[in-house]
Amino acid sequence: MPIEVPNTSEPEDKRLSLPRPVALGAVGNGQSLADHGQAIIRSRGFCLCYGDQVGVKNIDMEVYPRSVTSIIGPSGCGKSTFLRSINRMNDLVPNARAEGVLEVNGQDVYDKRVNLVNLRQQVGMVFQRPNPFPKSIFDNVAYGPRVQGIRRAARLAEIVERCLQHAALWAEVKDDLRKSALALSGGQQQRLCIARALATEPKVLLMDEPCSALDPVATARIEELIARLKNDYTIVIVTHNMQQAARVSDRTAFFCLGELIECGLTRDMFTTPQKRQTEDYITGRFG
Amino acid sequence: MAAATDFDRPLLLTPGQDMLGWITLRVGLTLLQFVALTCVLSVLFIFIFIVKEALPFFTSGQVGEMFSSAEWYPTSDPAAFGVWAMILGSVYVTVGAMVIAVPLGLLAAVFLSDIVPFGIRQVVKPVIELLAAIPSVAYGFFAVLVFAPWLQDNLGVDSGKNILNCSIILAVMAVPTIVSISEDALSAAGRDLREGAYALGATRAEALCMVVIPAAGGGILSGVILGMMRAIGETMLVWMASGNANQIPHPWYDITQSVRTMTATIAGEMGETAKNTTHYHALFAIGLVLLAITFGLNLTSEALMTRGRGRPGTARRKA
Amino acid sequence: MRTFIRRVLDRLFTSIAGLSILLMAAALVLVLGPIIVKGASAVFFCGTVEFRRMQVHEFNSGDTEAVKAETQRCQEARKPAWELIELFSRGIDTDRLEGQVKDAIREYDKQMRNRVEAGSLGAQEARNLRAKARRLRDFMLDALETTDKATALRRLKDVLDSPDRAALQATAGEELFRLAEQYKATVETVDLTRRDDYAAALAETRTLLTRLLGPAPGSAPKAALAQFRYGATRWDQALKLRDELLWREKYVPDQPGKPLKKTRVRRADEFANTKLAALFPMIDQRLEKMLNPRSTFYWRFFTDDSTPGHFFGGVGPEAIGTLMLTAIAMLLAVPVGVMTAAYLIECMRESLALRVLRTCINTLAGVPSIVFGLFGLAFFVLWLLPKLSLSNGPSALAGAMTLGMLVLPIIIRASEEALRAVPPSYREASLALGAGGLRTFVKVSLPAAMPGILTGIILAMSRAAGETAPILFTAAVAVGPWPGSPLKPCRALSYASYDMAVSDKLAAQVPHNQAGMVLTLVVLVLLLNIVAIVIRSRLTRKLRGT
Repeated sequence: MPIEVPNTSEPEDKRLSLPRPVALGAVGNGQSLADHGQAIIRSRGFCLCYGDQVGVKNIDMEVYPRSVTSIIGPSGCGKSTFLRSINRMNDLVPNARAEGVLEVNGQDVYDKRVNLVNLRQQVGMVFQRPNPFPKSIFDNVAYGPRVQGIRRAARLAEIVERCLQHAALWAEVKDDLRKSALALSGGQQQRLCIARALATEPKVLLMDEPCSALDPVATARIEELIARLKNDYTIVIVTHNMQQAARVSDRTAFFCLGELIECGLTRDMFTTPQKRQTEDYITGRFG
Repeated sequence: MAAATDFDRPLLLTPGQDMLGWITLRVGLTLLQFVALTCVLSVLFIFIFIVKEALPFFTSGQVGEMFSSAEWYPTSDPAAFGVWAMILGSVYVTVGAMVIAVPLGLLAAVFLSDIVPFGIRQVVKPVIELLAAIPSVAYGFFAVLVFAPWLQDNLGVDSGKNILNCSIILAVMAVPTIVSISEDALSAAGRDLREGAYALGATRAEALCMVVIPAAGGGILSGVILGMMRAIGETMLVWMASGNANQIPHPWYDITQSVRTMTATIAGEMGETAKNTTHYHALFAIGLVLLAITFGLNLTSEALMTRGRGRPGTARRKA
Repeated sequence: MRTFIRRVLDRLFTSIAGLSILLMAAALVLVLGPIIVKGASAVFFCGTVEFRRMQVHEFNSGDTEAVKAETQRCQEARKPAWELIELFSRGIDTDRLEGQVKDAIREYDKQMRNRVEAGSLGAQEARNLRAKARRLRDFMLDALETTDKATALRRLKDVLDSPDRAALQATAGEELFRLAEQYKATVETVDLTRRDDYAAALAETRTLLTRLLGPAPGSAPKAALAQFRYGATRWDQALKLRDELLWREKYVPDQPGKPLKKTRVRRADEFANTKLAALFPMIDQRLEKMLNPRSTFYWRFFTDDSTPGHFFGGVGPEAIGTLMLTAIAMLLAVPVGVMTAAYLIECMRESLALRVLRTCINTLAGVPSIVFGLFGLAFFVLWLLPKLSLSNGPSALAGAMTLGMLVLPIIIRASEEALRAVPPSYREASLALGAGGLRTFVKVSLPAAMPGILTGIILAMSRAAGETAPILFTAAVAVGPWPGSPLKPCRALSYASYDMAVSDKLAAQVPHNQAGMVLTLVVLVLLLNIVAIVIRSRLTRKLRGT
């Protein structure tokens, strides 16, 4: 199924009148939230512990479709933990235990019967460090489709080309798709990882500090890419860089010591934070 | 086509998928468990079968003389099964090899880890490990056809196949093991340890002898033990080069005499022994003694490795 | 002053450490040097015509026609030498002459009897003739026996000038006069008083010449053992034999009470003033014509079978046997090893079971190889395979299984290390794309760990190929057919190396084959090791994407 670039001139989703859950600490500015319709990810009292250690606790938060939600906070505040909970990547950590509700598209992802394959294919993820497989560029992008059982070479080539174009990498690599992905530069590798994630046709893209290992130029390109992708995808990005959050995101959530302190429109958050902690963090008094 | 934000694939498994996934996982895991069990079974079977074949000897009433006598006349009447001289023989060649190999190996390890430039180390270490790869038969060939005649001609000994010959060649074989593991342990001791010692004004020799080597002690010791295990368990070279004379050297320091080891006795006599005779079972009993010795050494080495990990020098690198 | 001592000590330490490395390098060269040099001469050497003849006859290799022609030429060159021996032996080797004389008369007797039966001769007449012949024979035997020249010549004269000569004309008895005439010619030149000395020396010379040039044409029937059918097959051997032929080692008393002193005397001097003296300069000068040495690259050394005792031929069956043992061992050990490593890494958490498994692997790695041999004998050879009624007694399968167990820990450890070194981010990325655990392992972790796993496998192969003790009682035999069925025992390089170095008297005469066997093994093992190193670096580089 090709990813279509939706016609942005089309009337926006008109489900304004539906009752919308109000996030803890969210600013009651209904007007801008209205643009995004119903929450696609929603958590209620979500906790995740590693053995005795608490990763995140009591998270009540929403993420709205076709928007960029950034999660900021000092190191070790649980922002990555929360992000990785959304597509259950925390399952890999021994002794990880989840409580509360974390819904994606209305389905609790910690339900025993969840189809992890479908969940992870539809909730893609980009990691902190670019981690392409030690294979060719083509094989990297084609990995996801192949997992889905697509075998036809022409179909794969089509998907690879489209995803690389989407990730703004096509022009740079189209002549040597057979080259090892590890020969690319860091920024290119990260865009390749984004293309790889796009190839499974996700609805939500989780990005875990995608620019922290990149130089400023590469970072700028990724940010441009995010701005373009948000027309089609729901993006949740974890960053420790407040400027980046301010630049790319529509909504921002501030985590501290495993708790969600404040969540709201980015514009409001950075101008009129509701909580003292948020203000202290944003103004650089701690962090 | 659905809007990009619509989840078009079900997030829940159907009961059938759920069941299938569960079964596949169980079957796969059970299969893997069985395969992994091969190792455990192998060890178990080795012990069981060696003990089983050795048992008739232990119940034959001749076991008493095994460790008290040096008389090994398995085919005469009455037969004698004293392995004391063989145990001593094994000890002689092993200790002899270690006396040569440990200082040599340790110094070579120090040289590789601390003295030569990294580039040379990258070349030399694989070459040393090639020494370990050469089959022991080749060493035995050298010992018998080249080294033994040379010893006879130049040292005036009665037989070139003796403790000295055996020990030297065994040492050459055991050195790579010692070098390789000691070098790893020394490198693992970390740069800050060395920097600390240099900062206090120590020379390189002092820093190495007083700080680094003690810190890497556990690893080095386990390397030495592994080298020793290789020497005790070595069969072909010892069989070919030790002279195979079942005797206790007299005087005890005369290393130009021939001896016979446990491994060589098994190798040499098992082929000509009828099954299920006392002799046959006695050879398995010797095998059991060998197995027990190496098992004990193995546990010691493992314990040292574990303790070594808890040491400050090695812990730091992991951090 | 203290600083000075410390500095000196430091220098000393450094140089001793450096010396130890040099010592090890020297050990490597010293051990491998003789094996390589001698072993290489099994493949590269100067082969004589005898070598090519041997190859044609024993191994059916080479251009038969060309070799035949070459042999013909060389036999031509050797002819004078053999003729000299033959001529000389007439006077010296009287036993042989006696035999010939007796044979001639016996044949004559037979002819006479036949004539009587046929009726062409009266019985009385025949009896007279036979008595005459017997008298001549006795004269001849007297002539052969005496060491006095005059007596011998007189007796010969009696024979040759006998009035009965005419009676023996045109019968088998005529041979007698031919022999007498030949002997007369010899007696005139040879000092009969020294005949016994000559006889011993001649026998030695004849043996040496046979070893050098092969059996004299048309002499004895074909020797049963291959090593007696041909002369020196190699030029270096030929030169050594020539030396032996020209010079005799002699132990002479030097000083009283001291051991005898070794000296060399010219063999030609022993035959001074005889016709045979000409043989030695002839051998010295014309040996090349007789043997036609040519530098040879005997690559079939690695594929040829060998004659008993590895006297001639190569290491083919041994190499194939070793490859077969190693291949089966790997076939058994690699899947188990890699899967165990996968299980250790992917499925196990820190637990008692893990500790037990790990201890087992370490124990298995520490079991002496001879104990593996004992176990293989007790378990595979005497218990398992007979139980499955596959084979009774040693078989390649039993040996390979024993070897497989021996190398299992090597494969597990290498694979485990390699799998552990795969960055967890690969695994995460694959899982995040919706791949399952198995697919992630097969498509991502395994390829990334492949260099390490392959290296481990190849090192395990080299270990399996080189081990001897585990196959002593389970698989190896010194003599046997070409390896075929894995249910039969087979020959192996490692065992044959041992066998040739220690127990085989015959092998000591062919040091090049001894060393060639070991060298083949060493080269095989080192080659595997080097391949491992190359694969590791190649794949690592490929994975890094440069």
